[in-house]
Order: sequence, then structure tokens, then C-alpha cells
Amino acid sequence: MDASFLDLLMAQQEEVTEAEGGGGIWVVADVVNGAVAPVTLEAIGAARNLAGSLGAYVYAVLLGDGVSGLAPTLYQAGADGVRVADDPSLATFAVEPYLEVLSDLFQAEQPEVIIFGATPQGQALAPRIAQRMGGGLLEHVVAMTLDEATRTVQASVPIYGGEYYEIMACPQARPQVLAVEPGAFPAPFMDPYRKGEPKSVEVKPAEPRVRVLGPAEEFTPPAVPLSQAPVVVAAGRQAGDFSLVEQLAARLGGRVAGDRGARDAGWISPEQIVDIRGVTVAPQVYVAVGIRGDTFHNAAVENAHFILAIHPDPTAPIFQVADLCIEADPKEVLPALIAALEQ
Amino acid sequence: MDFTFSPEHQALRRLVREFAENEVAPLAAEIDRKHQIPFETLRKLGEIGLLGVCFPQEYGGMGAGETGYCILMEELGRVCTSTATNVGAHIGIGAMAIHLDGNPEQKRKYLTPLARGEKIAAFGLTESNAGSDAANIRTRAVREGDSWILDGGKVYITNGGFADIVTVMAVTDPALGARGGVTAFIVEASWPGFKVAREEDKMGIRGTSTAELVFEELRVPHENVLGKVGEGFVTFMKSLDMGRLTLGAACLGGAQAALEMAVYWAKTRRQFGVELAHKQSVQWAIANIATEIEALRSLVYRVAWMVDTGQTGQEFTQLAAMCKMYGSEVASRAIDLALQIYGGLGVTRDFHIERAFRDARIAEIFEGTNEIQRIVIASNIFREYGVRIRP
Amino acid sequence: MRIAVVLGRVLDPRGIVVNRRAGRIFINREEYILQPADRCALEAALRIKDAASAEVVALPRTFLPDDDVLCQALATGADRAIYLTGGPLGADEALMARVLVAAIAKLGGADLILTGATTMDTGQSQLGPRLAEALNWPQVLNAWAVETADGAARAVVNAGAGYVQVEVDLPAVITLLPGALKPRYPRGTQLINIYRGVGEIAQALEQWPAADLVEEAALTPVVERRGQDFPPERERGVRLTGSPEEVARAAAEALRKRLPR
Repeated sequence: MDASFLDLLMAQQEEVTEAEGGGGIWVVADVVNGAVAPVTLEAIGAARNLAGSLGAYVYAVLLGDGVSGLAPTLYQAGADGVRVADDPSLATFAVEPYLEVLSDLFQAEQPEVIIFGATPQGQALAPRIAQRMGGGLLEHVVAMTLDEATRTVQASVPIYGGEYYEIMACPQARPQVLAVEPGAFPAPFMDPYRKGEPKSVEVKPAEPRVRVLGPAEEFTPPAVPLSQAPVVVAAGRQAGDFSLVEQLAARLGGRVAGDRGARDAGWISPEQIVDIRGVTVAPQVYVAVGIRGDTFHNAAVENAHFILAIHPDPTAPIFQVADLCIEADPKEVLPALIAALEQ
Repeated sequence: MDFTFSPEHQALRRLVREFAENEVAPLAAEIDRKHQIPFETLRKLGEIGLLGVCFPQEYGGMGAGETGYCILMEELGRVCTSTATNVGAHIGIGAMAIHLDGNPEQKRKYLTPLARGEKIAAFGLTESNAGSDAANIRTRAVREGDSWILDGGKVYITNGGFADIVTVMAVTDPALGARGGVTAFIVEASWPGFKVAREEDKMGIRGTSTAELVFEELRVPHENVLGKVGEGFVTFMKSLDMGRLTLGAACLGGAQAALEMAVYWAKTRRQFGVELAHKQSVQWAIANIATEIEALRSLVYRVAWMVDTGQTGQEFTQLAAMCKMYGSEVASRAIDLALQIYGGLGVTRDFHIERAFRDARIAEIFEGTNEIQRIVIASNIFREYGVRIRP
Repeated sequence: MRIAVVLGRVLDPRGIVVNRRAGRIFINREEYILQPADRCALEAALRIKDAASAEVVALPRTFLPDDDVLCQALATGADRAIYLTGGPLGADEALMARVLVAAIAKLGGADLILTGATTMDTGQSQLGPRLAEALNWPQVLNAWAVETADGAARAVVNAGAGYVQVEVDLPAVITLLPGALKPRYPRGTQLINIYRGVGEIAQALEQWPAADLVEEAALTPVVERRGQDFPPERERGVRLTGSPEEVARAAAEALRKRLPR
């Protein structure tokens, strides 16, 4: 079959038409650096899954200055309708202007479900909308199921940062507002044939009530000890080039550390030794570069949530505790890893 | 019968545990290595009110009773034996003597700043010729008008190197000896004639001051006689009973920490393909020591409860001796076991088991050797049957 | 100036073991601590009090089975604490926003509400902004530091890789990040006296039945807990294979997912 014919056929079939009568699942988009944030697309994908069971439409709301061009992305991700509030007063995020637009829109449309990203913007807006409309709100949602009989969304909320999940629902309150965790839901299939006509939303001026005075140059946050650092990049005897370890740490926003071998090599100070005889760590991410991993070291990283290990010896004990293992010389992998993280 | 802690004591434990973990534990290795007194920690403890934990609020204390004091010592003992020892010497025997036998004016003048932590106390009993044999002291006090002139000296005085106030026992009537010839004095370290002769370099509790004190024509005003002239021995024995109970509490904390470390390593260290926890030899040792620690806990807090409910008769002396003797031995056994489970790592200077091991030993010696405690216990038991034990 | 500080408690995670395979949570030591971010909010309030004199009133962020959190706040330096009773236990921000707004009204209003930016257990950050909405006050979320002067509050917040200072007119709601400030310890004597019910400090703890503040219907829980779910057991030792570039790309993708935001 001729590909151009297929294009034509699909385009006709996928022209989205909107339903009347309110309700629906609404996703409020996050726009970062002029692009739709991945969490918004993930939220639309999750909304589509709910929409099938609910028999509802999925709408997306775009706010910003010069954002109209992003509407096709939202359709492709699965939105049935898109509302755009495109106005210079929305150029940078501020609670009051954004809130007024959303509030008027949602009062008119009476959504059944509203989904935000669990981002700074979502964190600021979702509770305001939920409170204003008498809705329930669950934040940092990582999974959703539907209680079809009562049309209630049951959301999994991570407890203690994800040790386990509590399944929560707001069965009586409407709308049901959810803030979904970035990366928790799969990115949807971007269907190039899905298209639609976005509607613009009236923007009434609202003065931000928080004044930004300028950079807080004198401010430094309280020092976090290595034992509580969220990201640690540690070197071992086989690290090879320590400056690459430092570069990787800088790239990941992490702290540099090492095992006793790194101390012997003179790369780190005694306070940076990760070992049960030194510092015990519990970061979100621990990268062990050229660390063989004896019991004393491995016991000290027991509470790390994720460990990436790079070591040339396939029998190195570090590979028994690491989540992800790269059997290679760090000298070869680190430049590629640093480059890959820069993309 | 009710074995639960009151809400106020639970809240106190939360406070003390948080303080111990945040402020005391991080310094434990360093003060040991550098042989430093944790002055800053003592200041902070005083600021929160913990240095007066068991003293009445009218004299600047917290009024949390002996139970509260045991909680403090247990939680400090769990993270740093040196700090627990500093605090024990200050509250448990130094200031305790003034609390037990001081008159209102002495309590106002001395106990209040001690309870607030503005000043630090020490307890001056031991001499080179009189340790366990406390009645054999040689420091003399001679009456001169409104004052007493003290000559002599004390050894192994915890906090002695920096204490502001020392409760000192001196012979006021050599003919009468311990029964009527010994008097307790409140001495200020700033007075002329008070000298710190030397600091001991010790195997353990290296974050404490253990000093030799010398008194040369030290003039003490008569109003600083603690209790009655000639009854110093009673004052000191009562203080020591209290100190023995709370030393037991500190040992409980040390033993508990050792058990936690032993369990941690037993579940971490793998040999012959399994964690040590799967070895029956390890399981039995852990089960034994855990049982002893629970028995110690019951003993310590029961005796604390007796003090708080006014039951401080002869039975108390015996039970306090048991707390000290059993506590120090359980702690030593627990730490010895932990060290054995840790193997080579346990003896290296890089790891805190080695410090705990060195720190634990003194508890079997000071505040009355465990041999003395056994004499106290046995003589109480035999007394019930009409037998008077000769030392 | 009156500062309302909203405080909650959390089960100390060090006393908990989660067994993913068994799908069970073992509570070895049931000990509650002040929510760390709320504790920073209390510290921020007390620093304002130290600097500029203010009345600090502690309120609970959930209904609680005991008043430990409020006793701790008083012993740490709060002037008053309101123990709210008669409502459903457990976190429910929508419900609590209603109750707290009524409680603050009963106090005679407040100039500043300080609370934690997020809870340690459920990770919810909605209570602060919900209160701002209900009272129609401005909000500053995730602050590192707060000070007040001339009817306004200034706070330091994140902005990109750096920090900015922002200002709002009072009254306002400001939420504090966990770890933003080193909190002071409670004073031991006060702690003992509150629990014993003696001294002036014991008078500072008041008990308000929720039924006096809101209608009974407003005390119906909004959030329902419907069970627990567990992440899959951790699979260790997964090997990446391929050229350095290929493994680096795969590793970079895995790291990105795991990095804290």
C-alpha cells in the first residue's frame, strides 16, 4: 500500500472531535524550556488508560507564553482536546495567574479527574485547585487503578520514598486531583496521525503575590554529611583516572568518596572512606568505580537504593550487591558515561 | 505491677536518644583518640537541663527522678562510655552527695549551678592507700576557727582535672576512723591550696579526666561541711549506692550497643557460604547475652523505681551493688562477644568495638570493685541470717 | 505577631523493616518522631520569635492518638499548643485544612502559618497550599529560611541551580524543607512539667474538640486507605553488555531514573 495513502486514511480517522457536557480527565501540562515535560506526556498516557474504563475524554491544558505550538504534541500523546492559555503574563510560572486560568476553566468544565505532574508547578497548583473545588488530592502517584463501580481512582503513593506503597483513594470528593511522579508511568505512543483543533482560553490578569527579590547570594544550604548525601560516586583501586570520577560526580550532582584503596592512592581524605570502619552511606544512587567490594565496603553501602558498579574483574564481589554491573575498565566506560549523561 | 515507662520518661528517652545519636556518638572516636574531654557536649547537656536530670526543680534540676537519670545514663552509655562517665561522676556521685546531705543553703549555692551544668562536680574519695578500703583515707581536716584546713590528696578522681566543685572526704578524728571520724566537705577548685597534680593516661574512657588532686593547707569554711561532722562516711556510701545503680544503667546501654553491633555483623558477614547468623555457636551466644541484657534492664529499672518511690533501705544498697556488678560484667561479656563475632576487624583501631572493649573494663573496677560489690551483696544476705561478715 | 506552626508525627523509619517478597511491613520499634520538615518549621518560627518576638502556636497536621508532638513543641519553645481531638486519625489534608482554618479563626487569626514542605512517610506537600487557598493567603513552598520584617516575610527558595530570595506580605503560608534548619532540642524540665501537668507550661496545652470547630459532616474522611503495594524484589547483579558507548547509554538512562530531583 502506498504510504501516502495510509497517511491520508489515518489522518481522517484520527481527527479528534470533542464531546460536550463537561466531566472528563484533565491533564495540566508542565512546559520546560519551551517543550512539554515528559511527565505531562506520561500523565496523558495514564489518563488514556483510565479514560477507556471510565468512558471519558482526555483533555490537556497548556499555559505559558508562545506555547500554542506545543498543542499537537499533546494530541499525539493521546489528548482528545487541548486548551491553550497563551499569554505574556504566563511567561514564567507564578501561582496566582496560573491558578486563575485553571480555576475558571475547571469551574466551567467540572472535570471528574485532574492530573498534574508532581513537579514544583504541580505541587503549588494541585492543592489550590483541589481545595478551591472541594476535591481530593493524592501526590506522587506511581500507579493508578480504577474502582469502576464508584468511578474512583485508586492511586499508589510511595511511603518513605518508595519502601512500599499505600493505595489511597478519595471516593467521595470530586474532582479527584492527582499529581503523578515523573518517570513512574510509561511514555505513551506518540501517534503522529492524532490531530485536533486546540481551543484558546481567556486569560484574566492576576498579580503574583510572591515578589522575587533576586539571587540569595549569601545563602548556603546546611552542609549534608556524606552519610546522608543523596548521590555518591566512589572510586576504588581500579578507578584508573580519578579526575573522571570527579567529573562523573559533578555531572550527577553527587559527592566524591572512595574505598580504602582510593585512600591509599591519595585520591580522597580519611573522611571520604566508604567502609563500615569509615562512613556508612544510604544514597539514592551509589556509583562504585573500580571498587572491588570487600565485606567492609559492601556492608557500608547496604542501604543504598541503587548501585551501579564498574569493575574490570567479572568476579569482583561488588557485582553481587550492585543493581547494575558493567564489567569493564572504568577508563574506557567513564568518558562514554559522562558524555551520555550530558545528552 | 506495671512495667511500662510513663509518658514523661518516654519523652525524656526520645530527647536523650536523639541528643546521644546526634551530638555524642559522632565525637566518641575522636575524644578517645585525642584524649579530650567533650566540654561542648557537657555544655549542651547542661543547656537542655540533662545535667540536673534527677535533682529537684527548685534547685535547677529537671526532677525526672532516678528513672530519668538511668534513662540518661543508658542512652549515653549506648554511644559513648567516656561521656557517660563524665556525666556519671558529675551527677551521680559529685553533685549527688550535695543533693542527699546538703543543707538548703549549700544546695542553693552549689547544687543549683551543678544541676544547670554551669559548674561541674567531682567526687573525692579514693586515695593511693584507700580505694575499696574507703575507711583508710589519710587526707586530714583540722578545725581552725570558722574553717577547716585540709591536707592530703586524692587519686583517680574522675572529672578531677576540670571540676569546679569537689566533694571531698577527710579524716576529722583519727581516733574514731570511719565510724564518726570522717567528714565530707564541699571544696571549690579555685581555692588556694587546691591543685591538680597530674592526669592519668588510661587504657579506656580516654575522653574523661582522671586526676590526682593535692590539697595543701586548703582552707574550707565550716559552712561547707556536708552533712554532720564525723558522718561523712555515711554521706559517701549513700552517694555511691546511687552511683552504682546508674553505672549499671550506663553498662546496660553499652551492652545493648554491643548486642546490636554483634547482630548486625552476624547478619552481614558470610563465611562458608552463609551469614554468621546461621551458625549455632553464634546464635547461642547472642541468645545468652540478649537474655542477660534483659535481666539487667529489669534489675536496673526496678531499682530506679524503688528509689523514686522512697524505698532506699538496706535492700537498696544490696540491689545497687548488684546493678553495678552484674551490669559491668554483662557489658564486658557483650562487648567481648561482639569483638569475637567481628573477628580481626574487632581489634583494629579503625573500629569502635576496640574502643568499647577498652572502655568496658574500668566498670568492673571503679565505684567499688566487683569484689567489693560481692562483699556488699553477701554481707547483706548473711546479715539476714544473723551472720556478720568480716572484710 | 502570631505564628501558627502545623506539626505532625511519623513512625521512625529506623524501626521498620519492609519485606517486599512477603509483602509485609515489620514494625520492630514503634517510635514516633516529629515530621522532620515540620520540625524545621517550628525552628523557623522560634527563630522569628527570638529575633522579633512573636506568639508561636503549635497545631497538629493530623488528628493524633496522643499529644506528644504538641508537648514537644511546647518544651521546645512554643507559647501555646492546641491538641485537636474527636476526628479520624491518620493523614487527611483535605479534612485537616477545614479543621485548621476553623482552629486558626478561633485563635483570633494568625499572621503567618509555617509547616513542613513534605511529610517523611507519605510525601504529601498539600497541607500548606491548601491552607493558603482556604484563607486566600499567598504561599511560599519549599523554603530554606524565613525571616519577617515590616508586615512581610522573606524566604530563600531554590531557583534552578541557585537560590533566590522572595518576599510576601503577611499573612502568608510558608513551608519549610526538611533539613533546612538545625532544630533545637526541647528543654528537659519543661518536657517533664508538661507531662506532669505542672507549672505555667502545662496551662499552655489546650484541648479543643473538633466538633466545636466544624460541623460533624466536615469530619468525614476524604482519603480512604485501600491497602498496600510493594515494589518488586530488588534484582541485583544485572550485567550490561555491549560497546562502551552502548553500556554507557544504558547506564545513563538507568541513573537518570534514579537521581533525586
